[in-house]
Amino acid sequence: MSDLTFRFAPIRTIAAKDIRDALRDRFILIVSVFLGLAAVTALITGAIALRTDVATYTAAKATLLALGKPVDAIAAPEFYPLRLLRGAIEQIEIIGAAIAILIGYRAASGERGRQTLALLLTRPLRRWQFVAGKALAGIVLLAGGLALVLGGLAIVLHLVSGVGLGPDDLLRIAVVWGAAIGYTSCFLLLSFGLALHMKHAVQALLVAFAIWLTLVLIAPQIGDTLDPDNQVAGGVFVQLHIAKPDQVVIMQGYATFETIRDGIEQASVTKHFERFTFAVLGIKPIYAGQPLGPILIEKTGELIWIFLTALGLGIVVLALPINPDRLAKA
Amino acid sequence: MTPAPQSPAGLGRLIASQSARFALRERTVALLGCMFVVLVLISAWLGWQATATVNRIYLDAAAFLQATGQPVPPNPVLDISALSLLRNMSVYVSLIGALAAIAVGNRLITLDIKAGVLPLIGTRPLSATTFARAKIGALAGIVLGLGSIAGLVSVLTFAVLPTLSLTGVQWLQLLGFFGLSTVYMLIFGLIGMAAACRARSETVGLLVPVTIWLTLTFILPQLTGNLNPTAAINPVAALAAPPDTWFFRAMGQGLGSVSVADAYKFGAANLLDMLPAGIGSPAIIPPLAVLGLAALAAFGVAWRALTTFNMATGEYDV
Repeated sequence: MSDLTFRFAPIRTIAAKDIRDALRDRFILIVSVFLGLAAVTALITGAIALRTDVATYTAAKATLLALGKPVDAIAAPEFYPLRLLRGAIEQIEIIGAAIAILIGYRAASGERGRQTLALLLTRPLRRWQFVAGKALAGIVLLAGGLALVLGGLAIVLHLVSGVGLGPDDLLRIAVVWGAAIGYTSCFLLLSFGLALHMKHAVQALLVAFAIWLTLVLIAPQIGDTLDPDNQVAGGVFVQLHIAKPDQVVIMQGYATFETIRDGIEQASVTKHFERFTFAVLGIKPIYAGQPLGPILIEKTGELIWIFLTALGLGIVVLALPINPDRLAKA
Repeated sequence: MTPAPQSPAGLGRLIASQSARFALRERTVALLGCMFVVLVLISAWLGWQATATVNRIYLDAAAFLQATGQPVPPNPVLDISALSLLRNMSVYVSLIGALAAIAVGNRLITLDIKAGVLPLIGTRPLSATTFARAKIGALAGIVLGLGSIAGLVSVLTFAVLPTLSLTGVQWLQLLGFFGLSTVYMLIFGLIGMAAACRARSETVGLLVPVTIWLTLTFILPQLTGNLNPTAAINPVAALAAPPDTWFFRAMGQGLGSVSVADAYKFGAANLLDMLPAGIGSPAIIPPLAVLGLAALAAFGVAWRALTTFNMATGEYDV
């Protein structure tokens, strides 16, 4: 047996056992179905809203034609099927991250209070191998759950959009899947680390939720609120009837303010995930209809942020020595 | 007259005060409570900063429009009520306030279970209703404390910023807003308490109310108003009108009547003078009635769970 195989065999064994446990008690299935329902709800309501826009446009166009006026006076609603995934992506940002916290917590708390860790450590097993096996199982489960959700979304989207999805669309969804694994792994590793090292596992879960709330909801909310265009219904520049180029000129005087606002948003890994996925799926209008390659090149920074955060947390979790005595208590 | 310590009422008071002290000593409860207070402070600053920025942009834009010979529209800031400075507060109540209340409700029960004191309390001359009253009283006291701190911070904000002045009616509206916010948090605290009584494991007792909160905050508003989760946490975007179609009309009227988050959003926006003209709750039941009914239902569920709670319950078998 090679040295590499010898090092990784225990990791594989522990990971396989954790995955079997999660599949046997249907935990991963239940949480994936919950996330899937939230995401499909978002997709269907988005599709209904779009259908309403199309109907309104069609009626207005018919009226103009009947009056003998040119139809280019009204803008046709743009239709990019992947844009309908906006709400679903936001649900992955919020509920997906919360589920990752649960998977991470479960991986650590599963050994607490049962005296199973003491037994495990009597085997020829290094502590980092135990931690790596548990984290690997969590990430595999997360990847499986996200594949189920995004696969289901692709099928529903194919059926409700009416135009079907092509290979390029499926590739973009696969890219989003990869980014979603990286993003949710950050929260999995966070709660796994907290539940391994804090005195009480449930307190670790509450702390993980407090951090989740700060990163996923509060930091983006503060950044969003400080956006002057979000303070007036419809947008301040729309109310003032100021064209886009003139908006840019006016906002030049607010560069410092915008830098601070952007900095608050950038502090959250959620915003990086959102910016990356919104670009890949063409949800942000400037990326709609653009080829995938240049978008990926432009958004590499966001992806690096996501994976470096996950990697950093992974290194911390592996490097911190675990205390079997502490894990003997729930 | 203060009841004797050994009388049922006296024991109830003892349990309520001891439970509240026990829960507040928990670092996680203290952390969530502190987060709430900090966000309340931030919320007042955010409202002021965002409004001031829009005003400065207007002045710059007005100068630009005048220079280019275009008409200058009215300043949108003048249409904003001073009360709407606190618009972010409603978002923080529905996020961190509700989560903190769930944690408090959960810890008020689980700490007793983990400490193994329930069988001991069960030996005292104490009825199940006195125990339930004491626990709900402890929860109400802590949540009221959180609501009062938020109210005090807001009053100080209005006192410190001399450019802002409220009328008598607006002060009453502010009081109403904090009353509504306290009731909203209490609903989740009661659900957290009931779940902690019923659940066989400490984790499930926490996850059930969190799942209910996630569903009410991020999934139902999507059905009732096509509101994406990030729009739901923006106090201005959350009040946008839904697409005019039978689906959202039916969902808004039907599901809107049980959507507690929607009811709080409309109730709070109304009290903070930030409800746009022509926008209102589409639900058949008015928002305040929805919140009142939800509070009654949550109270009923918590009361039932507490009065039928097995006082022989020992430490969780995990």
